[in-house]
Formats: sequence, structure tokens, C-alpha cells
Amino acid sequence: MDLFLQQLLNGLSNGSVYSLVALGLTMVFGILHVPNFAHGAFYMIGAYVSLTIMSLFGIPYWIAMLISMFAIALLAVISERLIYHPLRNAAGLHQMMGAIGILLFLVAFAQVVWGPNYQQMSSPYNGAISIFGTTFTQQRIIVIIATVIIMLILHFFLTKTMIGSAIIAMAQNREGAYLVGINANMVVMLTFAISGILAAAAATLASPINLVFPGMGDLVIMKAFVIIIIGGMGSIPGAIIAGYLLGIVESFGATYISGDYKDVIAFALLVIILTVKPTGLFTRRAY
Amino acid sequence: MSQLKFKITDMSVNYGPFTALQGINIDVKQSELVVLLGANGAGKSTIFRAISGLNKPSKGEIKFSEKKVNGMSPDKLVKLGIVQCAEGRKLFPEMTISENLRMGGFVHRKNKKELKTMMEHVYELFPILKDKKDDHAGSMSGGQQQMLAIGRALMSRPKLLMLDEPSLGLAPLIVKQMFEIIQRINKEGTTILLAEQNASAALKIADRGYVIENGQIVVTGSSDQLLNNEEIRKAYIGA
Repeated sequence: MDLFLQQLLNGLSNGSVYSLVALGLTMVFGILHVPNFAHGAFYMIGAYVSLTIMSLFGIPYWIAMLISMFAIALLAVISERLIYHPLRNAAGLHQMMGAIGILLFLVAFAQVVWGPNYQQMSSPYNGAISIFGTTFTQQRIIVIIATVIIMLILHFFLTKTMIGSAIIAMAQNREGAYLVGINANMVVMLTFAISGILAAAAATLASPINLVFPGMGDLVIMKAFVIIIIGGMGSIPGAIIAGYLLGIVESFGATYISGDYKDVIAFALLVIILTVKPTGLFTRRAY
Repeated sequence: MSQLKFKITDMSVNYGPFTALQGINIDVKQSELVVLLGANGAGKSTIFRAISGLNKPSKGEIKFSEKKVNGMSPDKLVKLGIVQCAEGRKLFPEMTISENLRMGGFVHRKNKKELKTMMEHVYELFPILKDKKDDHAGSMSGGQQQMLAIGRALMSRPKLLMLDEPSLGLAPLIVKQMFEIIQRINKEGTTILLAEQNASAALKIADRGYVIENGQIVVTGSSDQLLNNEEIRKAYIGA
């Protein structure tokens, strides 16, 4: 029972990080119909920004996270302006190449600036707590709570404000959005900024559990793609649910099958779900 | 005295090497209801797309209240008051009716009071929308979707409202209602440019009309002139 609860918590905390990363990815896909391969690199840079300002200036964890969110939002918007915007009328393949270009550039940039070594991020929540007789790492609880809060804020922004609803409107009918006077550039930049904010938050939450290194985004972005395919491309609830599903399945798979297969499980899950439901769990209905 | 509001001069639109429109001249005066008649593929929608900034004209000029507006982005045109209710409705299918209407007022989002007044007005024009305001737009019938599309366009307080085939695919009784409402919106002071295939119904409520064939304007005149034009009767009214 102890093991079960612990693995459930591990699954939920990993799933939280996956969901945050996948949310940014699915929102950009919903607006631009471009798979943003550079999203994992945004995640990685987000971790380094938090780590650097915490260790260099002694800035507290949560403030470092806010600064990192802002920095990665800016990075995402600059990438959009410099790469995706000029390519907006080109074939999809060109945008994918642009995305891979950003990815390679950022990974190389991190290696030059921070070096190839694994680094540890400390958080004020390194202790363990005991609930119902089971011991949990504090940071894992923090990850889950912070993720839920971030998702609630995002939900409020997307449904209750006109600017946020413009993102949803544009994903549902692009020309319809133009015709009610929504500025396409504004919405695209805003969506990239949000995806950057979510990536930086996910990275700063996950880093004290995992490690910070230039390739840390690679596996996360692969899994995020698995998640948005399982959840239905462009679907926001799909990304959240599939993210948690993957986190939990992985965690239990690693415990009850074998830890060596942890990363294989994501892709096995993808194959199984696509076999049963080729359109993903939450495909947008076509009217 | 009616001042000239809207004028298209010698406009052409190309789709790649294909010329979709050639030498289009249209003018619409304050508070007029002007109809563009033409068969499928004649170029009515292309004219609207060019006016709305969705397609760029390759030649010619569009002026709105003495201001050159061709080449402006769609959102700026909506802010100026040129609003299109497009063919195929282009609603937000997974939003509710009231959310769709709210998005229609996007350019006036800072003025909450005005949005509320406009929404009340739309609900008064189309009571069915109020009854179903929490239903998803994608779940409604064609006629209701068309009403919502017109209502959403009205939310941005258009000075020039363009309606692209509002009667398309609707039951005859609904079509009649639709034209009555269009006439009422016009009487309330909104200038309307209407694209239609249903010539007899459209000419009954319109002041003037243009007939479009193969991307060119072939006949123009007052509604009475067009109704009495033998060729038009044969081609579009069938009597």
C-alpha cells in the first residue's frame, strides 16, 4: 500500500510536469498547426535561467521561477517573430526545419554557457513529509499543487477574459476570428508567450527532482508530443488528462513491470491508444 | 443628403495565375441596402473577402469614408466598422451562443456596458438565440447558426455590414424571416451590402443591385430596373 501511494504521487507529480509542457505545445499547435520542436529547448533554458539566478544572486525559488517564466515567454515570442512569423506562408516543412534550428541553437547555447555537466537545483522543499504513514518528498507535493494553481489561472484567463478567449476562438475558426476583429499577430505572440511561461514553470518545478543539463528537454518534448497525440492535437483538456495518464502509467509500469522500461512505456501507450482510437482521446469535433 | 460612404474603383483579384475578379466598381451610400447578385462562383464572395482584407486585391482601390482601406488587415477594418458575416458562418463551434456573441464584440471589449446593450439588441432581433444562449454553436440548426452569425457581426457595431448569402441552405419560411430582419437592421441605420442568389427576395428589400458574372459586373441599376430587366428575370428569377 505504501508503495502504491508513493508511486501514485510520483505519477501525479511527473504527470503534472508533462501536462504543463504538453499544454504549451498543444496551444501553439492549435493556433499555428505547427509542431514546435523547440518547445523542449524552452523548457531546458527555463531550468537554467532559474538555476542561474538562484545560485548567482541567491534569489528565492518562487521569485526565480517568476523571472524564468518572464524570460522564457520573451524567448518564445522572439523565436516566433524571428523564425515562425517570416515562415508563416511557407509550407509546413519549412516551419518544422525552423523549429529544429531553434532547438539545436538553444542546446548548443546552453552547452557553451553552462557546460555539458549535470547540475543540481536546490529547492526549499528538500525534506520529506509523512501522510497516512507514507513518506513523500515535499517537492513532489509542491509540483502537484503549483501545477493545479497554474492550470486554474490558465483556465480563468482562457475562458473569462476576452484576450484569452481570442486564443480559443482562433483555434476554433481562424477566419471567424479575423472577422470579429481579432489581431492574428497579437494572438500568436500571446500563445507563444503562454507556452514559454508554462515550459519555464514546468522546468523549475521538475528540476529539484531531476537534474539540469543541456539535453534535459529531449525526452520531455518527445513525451509531450506523445501526450498531445494521445489527447488529440490542439485539445487543452486532452493535454492535461493524457499528461497525467502518462505520468501515472509510467510510474506504475516502472514499479510493477521494470524500471528499465520506464521510457518505453510512453511510446507503448501511444501505440495502444492510437490502435484503439486513431484520432486521440479528445479530438476536436468537426462541424 | 447622403454622403458617399464606400467606393470600390477598378478592383481586380487574382488567385495565383487565375483572375477571379476584374475591373470591379461598386459604390454604396449611407444607409443603403445594396445587393450583389450572381450564380455560384461568379465572384461575390471574392469581392467580400477582398473588402474584408482576407484577400489582397492585385489592382484597384477601396475607399471608406474617403479613407483608402485596401491592404489593411482584417482586424483594423473591423475596428473601422467594415464587418462581414461570411458564407459558411465561420462561428466558433465549441463556444456557446452567448460566448460567440461576446467574441463578436471583441473590438469594443473595453466598453462592457455597450456590449451588454448590443447583446440585448441582438437577443431582441433573434429571440431564439436568447433561449439557447448556453448551447454550443456547433449544435444548432443551419438557420439558427445563420442568425448567430448575423448577431455576432452586429456585436461589433458595423457601419457597413456585408452579408454573404444569408439565405443559403435555409428553409423557405426561415429565408423570409431572415430577409425581414435584414431589412429591419437596414432601417435601423446600418448600411448593408448583401450577396445573394435569391434575386427576387433580395431585390424586394434592396435599393440597388449589381449583377456579377464570371468576375465582372455586367448590369447595375435600381431594384425596380433589375426586377423588370428581361434577362435578369430569366437568369435569376426564373419567371
